[in-house]
Amino acid sequence: MAIKHKDLFFDYPEYWPKPNYDFSKLSMSENEFQLGRQLFYDPILSRDNTISCASCHLQATGFTHVDHDLSHGIDGRIGTRNSMTIMNLAWNTSFMWDGGVNHLELQALAPISSENEMDETLANVVDKLNESKKYKSLFFQVHQDSLVTGQKTFLALTQFVVMLNSYNSKYDKYIRKEAGGDFTEQEKNGLSIFRENCASCHKEPLFTINEFKNNGLKVDTTLNDYGRMLITQNSKDSLKFKVPTLRNIQFTAPYMHDGRFETLQEVLDHYTADVQESKTLATELKKTIQLSHIEKVDLLVFLRTLTDKEFLFDKRFSFPNNNL
Amino acid sequence: MSYINKQPKFKLDYIVMFLLFFTIFSGASQNSNKDLSINIVTSFDGESIEKDKWYVTKNNDSIQITKLRFYLTNFVIQTEDKKNDSIFNSNYLIDAFNKETLKIILSNTNYNKEDKLLLSIGVNEHLNTSGANSGDLDPSKGMFWSWQSGYINFKMEGKSPSCKTRKNKFQFHIGGYQKPFESIRVLTFKLSAIKNNELTININIAHFFDALQLSSQNQIMIPGKEANDAADRLPQLFSIDE
Repeated sequence: MAIKHKDLFFDYPEYWPKPNYDFSKLSMSENEFQLGRQLFYDPILSRDNTISCASCHLQATGFTHVDHDLSHGIDGRIGTRNSMTIMNLAWNTSFMWDGGVNHLELQALAPISSENEMDETLANVVDKLNESKKYKSLFFQVHQDSLVTGQKTFLALTQFVVMLNSYNSKYDKYIRKEAGGDFTEQEKNGLSIFRENCASCHKEPLFTINEFKNNGLKVDTTLNDYGRMLITQNSKDSLKFKVPTLRNIQFTAPYMHDGRFETLQEVLDHYTADVQESKTLATELKKTIQLSHIEKVDLLVFLRTLTDKEFLFDKRFSFPNNNL
Repeated sequence: MSYINKQPKFKLDYIVMFLLFFTIFSGASQNSNKDLSINIVTSFDGESIEKDKWYVTKNNDSIQITKLRFYLTNFVIQTEDKKNDSIFNSNYLIDAFNKETLKIILSNTNYNKEDKLLLSIGVNEHLNTSGANSGDLDPSKGMFWSWQSGYINFKMEGKSPSCKTRKNKFQFHIGGYQKPFESIRVLTFKLSAIKNNELTININIAHFFDALQLSSQNQIMIPGKEANDAADRLPQLFSIDE
């Protein structure tokens, strides 16, 4: 027995932590990557073949749903949360805003079976793929076996999304002292304001600590979403949501789990003036963050350095040219 | 710019698998291992489980059972001196309405009549947290929760006029692997009951309802205390022909 294709390399900067994801079930082959890419962009995953992963996860906006506070899916139905970005997923320790999904390979089961998103069963998806000549052939190329299973479908999707890594922003080049990484005084100032006020939760280099925090948002009484508590059934987790990465934040609007803020200015205004006191409020926010107008501007300028155009416009991650 | 090229370590895995494979086969040539067939017989107080058939519970609830699926996993032969021999990959999804799933063959098994058979109702924590699995554990089997990862260990659905629910349905999806609500339960049987390398495990569904009033409890859909308490009742359903 031998691994026939090992042509994918999972690269990341040497000073980054080790990925959390265990790659052992993936073939790390170009064929599996391309199969996953086909699946990611194919509405065959939804009940009526109208919604694909890319419907809510667009590459140019950091693989999230731009311009929608709550993401919508099949039949125009609207969900209860803002779709998350897809990048550097191998470092995530859990998935979704409430951490309900415990493994990258199983993440796709949630949108596929959610009645507001794709409203399909995995068993039906597998049946549809098994009836497709195109997919039978693509699965054969990966596994030397054309039988499609739920596991193989998820592994292919994983092989695609786990490669969606962003580490070539201006900020990264600044850290690595590379060409294109020269920070202006304003950006440098923004970075130090960031490190002083934001980095305890949005920790470099991934800009998240993978934990759940109550960041003091007012409860939206039209949703009454208590976040992590719905998963753990522990009142200590009330109103806690996953700390999201800030990479490519310039393009991932709207912000927060329910997409309530359309601009980063509103986000900063929240953290400096509108944090709601409660039992589960993050300790990091108990003392009000104070920023002058100029400091806010510098911070916003810094946040733009987290934009990674190489990632956002990488043709390998875009809609596949279908000659199959 | 210096990146480390990270590549998953496949080689070691394959060597381990190969050695395992080799060990199993070399073992087979030395011992006179046998196939152990396990017949799963589901019933309601001796009556066979059929769709559209009515049953009456101890608490006088009339019920119909429309779905009955559960996992039996991690079969272990335990010798008298408590040596455990785990049967590799012995994870089975049983469906009362699918005959093919009601016979388990543990092939090439080394056991004696003095030994005990251990097995679990449900899926262990490791398999709940190790991503997309294959075979009976494939997530397409409809036994994996999507919004909160984890296997449904035991799923029973049906109807009863006692349930003031939509279409009088009751739904018990019992699972959860996280402390303190781990819903996996271990069963132990003596192998002395084996006849012609066959063992019959009876599952009397009636006992599930013995301490249950369907008008007040008719739905468990998430891990938690209720699921945990229901899981505590499951071992009472299982017995073997002595």
